Amino acid sequence: MAARAYLCMVKVSARTVLTYRANFVLGLFAVFFQLLAMLYVWRLLLESGKDFGGYTWPQMKAYLLVAFVTSSLVSAYGDFRMAARIRDGLVSLDLVKPVTYQTARFAETVGRAALELAVTFAVAGSIALVTGGIPVPDLPQLLLFAVSIAAVVPLKFLVVYLSTLLCFWTQNYMGVAWARTSLVALLSGSLIPLVLLPSWLQTTAMLLPFASLTATPAAIYLGQATGGEALGLLLTQAGWVTVLWVAGRLVWRFAVRQLTVHGG
Amino acid sequence: MPAATMAVMPVIEARELTKVFRRPDKSEGLRGSLRHLVTRRYTTTSAVDHVSLSIEPGEAVAYVGPNGAGKSTTVKLLSGILVPTSGEVVVGGIVPHRDRIANARQVGVLFGQRTQLWWDLPVRESLALLRDMYGIGPADYRAQLARFDEVLELGELLPVTARKLSLGQRMRADLAAALLHRPGIVYLDEPTIGLDIAVKDRVRDFLRRLVADGTTLILTTHDLGDIEDVCRRIAIIDGGRIIYDGGLDGVKDTFARERCMHVRLTTDVDPQSVAALLPDAEVTPGGSPGEFTIRFDRFVLTAGQVIATASSLAEIDDLLIDEPAIEDVVRKVYSGELELEPAEDGVGAGVGA
Repeated sequence: MAARAYLCMVKVSARTVLTYRANFVLGLFAVFFQLLAMLYVWRLLLESGKDFGGYTWPQMKAYLLVAFVTSSLVSAYGDFRMAARIRDGLVSLDLVKPVTYQTARFAETVGRAALELAVTFAVAGSIALVTGGIPVPDLPQLLLFAVSIAAVVPLKFLVVYLSTLLCFWTQNYMGVAWARTSLVALLSGSLIPLVLLPSWLQTTAMLLPFASLTATPAAIYLGQATGGEALGLLLTQAGWVTVLWVAGRLVWRFAVRQLTVHGG
Repeated sequence: MPAATMAVMPVIEARELTKVFRRPDKSEGLRGSLRHLVTRRYTTTSAVDHVSLSIEPGEAVAYVGPNGAGKSTTVKLLSGILVPTSGEVVVGGIVPHRDRIANARQVGVLFGQRTQLWWDLPVRESLALLRDMYGIGPADYRAQLARFDEVLELGELLPVTARKLSLGQRMRADLAAALLHRPGIVYLDEPTIGLDIAVKDRVRDFLRRLVADGTTLILTTHDLGDIEDVCRRIAIIDGGRIIYDGGLDGVKDTFARERCMHVRLTTDVDPQSVAALLPDAEVTPGGSPGEFTIRFDRFVLTAGQVIATASSLAEIDDLLIDEPAIEDVVRKVYSGELELEPAEDGVGAGVGA
């Protein structure tokens, strides 16, 4: 019964994205141009002949394209909407619905993510073709990669969700969103591969959930992690999803007590 | 008999319910904001202050008070949106803020100033989403849509995207959304705000039917027509405290002390002579000779005394006593001039002790 409601929310949010497709596409454009810039910079750097973590140009292309997909996921507007509803007190209307708030927001995220995945994979694939191809792993490795990408959806949702819940205390989301975006870009490896970071920062990233967001799918795609090591990475992703899911429920319980909806 | 036990078991029970809000106390300008970073000062306000309410199944209660009196906050406490600072609340055997989802299933809530429709979707899709949330079967869903179409003319709104609805249309769709799952308990927070008379009438008609079907209703409104049409009980809240809780007639008896009598005598009588005989009343001459309007406090004079005095001057040709309006009482509450001293014979006056 409730499952049907969440399923319906998945569909509805996908439809909402389609209603605002211009907004959706423009949002992707921003990440897309960033990707182009990165591709050019890295080609120049690698042509200089210096060694950057042992990456060849095709491998670096593959890395950047994977990073493009993972950083485009769960980015479209859902968090801003949630933040605005918390700030304006509209969240009180969500509270009189017979659904779990966190699961409902996750359902909406899944709906959007389905479209985000379709579009970003199409874009990444076209870029790979136009720029002369990228290495493609064998089928078992490709399946592991698919699982790791799928795990990014709940994981990134939870990182975004937890930071958005801060709105119950801060009443302002911009600062929170910027801080989170920078932190995720650096520590997930979506800005530059983690191997190129100073070792203490690498360790920090590996100890936190962030590395699971980009470094893990990229390592699996590039075959840097295979077999047992790859499975270990997937388990780490699953572990973080579990931990953060529970954390989300706990933080929510405190956050909702902060709710002060004004009114006569 | 089960009916007898039902009658004494309240479905909504609030005891000493209190909600204190804490607001940062910032002085003006950048300097004030900076100072706030160092020394935090807060003002606390009790939006709801030891409110006790006991509502039986099927009762329709008007919840009235000026802006900021605590009406919406009470509704939010009853629907589990807000956690009370102190006091207890039980709705249908459930503590709303503790078991929010179970409470959401038995309660329907409408906030007139805000929509719970999905802004970017046609009304039909919003309702379908709610149908799935509440697990409403297809046959029941169809029956509900038919019912809403009959009273609220919902059919024409179904294909329209929520953000394109006019205010009146939105309210009709929102009512359908709030009541789709046939809640036994309904809170409506200003359901007729900003509506034109035709739509207002339709909404009131709908509410009357709802109450006739046995729904427990709390109606928060500024529109006194809503109250007289739908409710028999009224709770007046001011400054977070309930200052009256009782029958609609009782509130008139208790607080609407002024009576107004229009008298037409068969012969022309000087208004001064009437006034001289009734020093405690206010006598104003009417439109034609022999016509008077006499205003009096019903605890000082009785209608019989006034009539006797008038007929002692000349034969009464016609007589009309204005029905005391709930509006007068509530207007006095709003302007803060209500005398909080109920008469001895006042019915159920809940003046805070």
